[in-house]
Amino acid sequence: MNPKRCAACKYLRRRCPKDCIFSPYFPPNDPAKFACIHRIYGAGNVSKMLQQLPDQTRAEAAESLCFEAKCRVDDPVYGCVGIIHLLQTQIEQTQNQLAKTQAEIAVAQTKLSQTHNSDFM
Amino acid sequence: MSSSGNPSSSGGGGPCGACKFLRRKCVAGCIFAPYFDSEQGAAHFAAVHKVFGASNVSKLLQHVPEHKRPDAVVSICFEAQARLRDPIYGCVSHIVSLQQQVVSLQTELSYLQAHLATLELPQPQPPPVPVSSSGSLQALSITDLPSISPSVYDLSSIFEPVMSSTWAMQQQPRPSDHLFGVPSSSSIGGGGELQALAREFIHSGQMPAQPSPGTSGSGSTVIKRE
Repeated sequence: MNPKRCAACKYLRRRCPKDCIFSPYFPPNDPAKFACIHRIYGAGNVSKMLQQLPDQTRAEAAESLCFEAKCRVDDPVYGCVGIIHLLQTQIEQTQNQLAKTQAEIAVAQTKLSQTHNSDFM
Repeated sequence: MSSSGNPSSSGGGGPCGACKFLRRKCVAGCIFAPYFDSEQGAAHFAAVHKVFGASNVSKLLQHVPEHKRPDAVVSICFEAQARLRDPIYGCVSHIVSLQQQVVSLQTELSYLQAHLATLELPQPQPPPVPVSSSGSLQALSITDLPSISPSVYDLSSIFEPVMSSTWAMQQQPRPSDHLFGVPSSSSIGGGGELQALAREFIHSGQMPAQPSPGTSGSGSTVIKRE
């Protein structure tokens, strides 16, 4: 067996051709990455998706697919939609805290100006 | 897409949306039937099939408890449609833009809390705010601060408690390749909220809750690796 096969071809137990679509993005030292993406999307779908993209964008596409696949493996029900939900909740909470702090600043500034006015009188 | 749990399989009602798309007989107990009705379900299933594949989705759903399957189908449809709209980043671009929004808001909050602390000191301190031409004090804004570039895929901050961090801490660079540092979010019980979110996305044809440009110094949702 060719020791230089990419992780995808090793997983699929096939020869790794020179123009293998997976080899730039799935090095042999990280087999779990391809296993995860294959489990969720399937090798054929990933191959089709990468082939439809320009060369220079495939690396980012592979990374984002891996990220989404990992999220789905970790959370089979919500996947990375769960993360979106958490972020939106966090945004809402922070906006509420911001509004509260701005109100507190307004009150403090009012008290400060009243203190200054009474000092001058 | 129907997530009411009513089966759409044949028995009088015709095939479900998935079996219609796959042009196969919709058997009793079809795993897709409760979630893909025969009208709009076929269109939603087309996206799911193109991205994930029917057999992969079937396996995914079989490993999910039945009462959680509607939520799983909604999230799978959401991801599939996001990936078709953005073949490079899928819904990760939305995650990154939300993450930038969180960082921006938390930085602004830290700044305001520091300002509040100076106002509440016993000795009167001159407030470090610009004064508008009308003479009234302007609200502090994120544009007063230097811009911050959050790293990609570093979602560890999402799961820290929502608390004020010092403005200095926000300036620290984060590790750039903190891939997959995401704990499980399966504790989310907001099924109704999730479905509302996904329906808003699916029916309106665009991502919900996009940040306005210039909020964090960069309105683009293009992911940049550091």
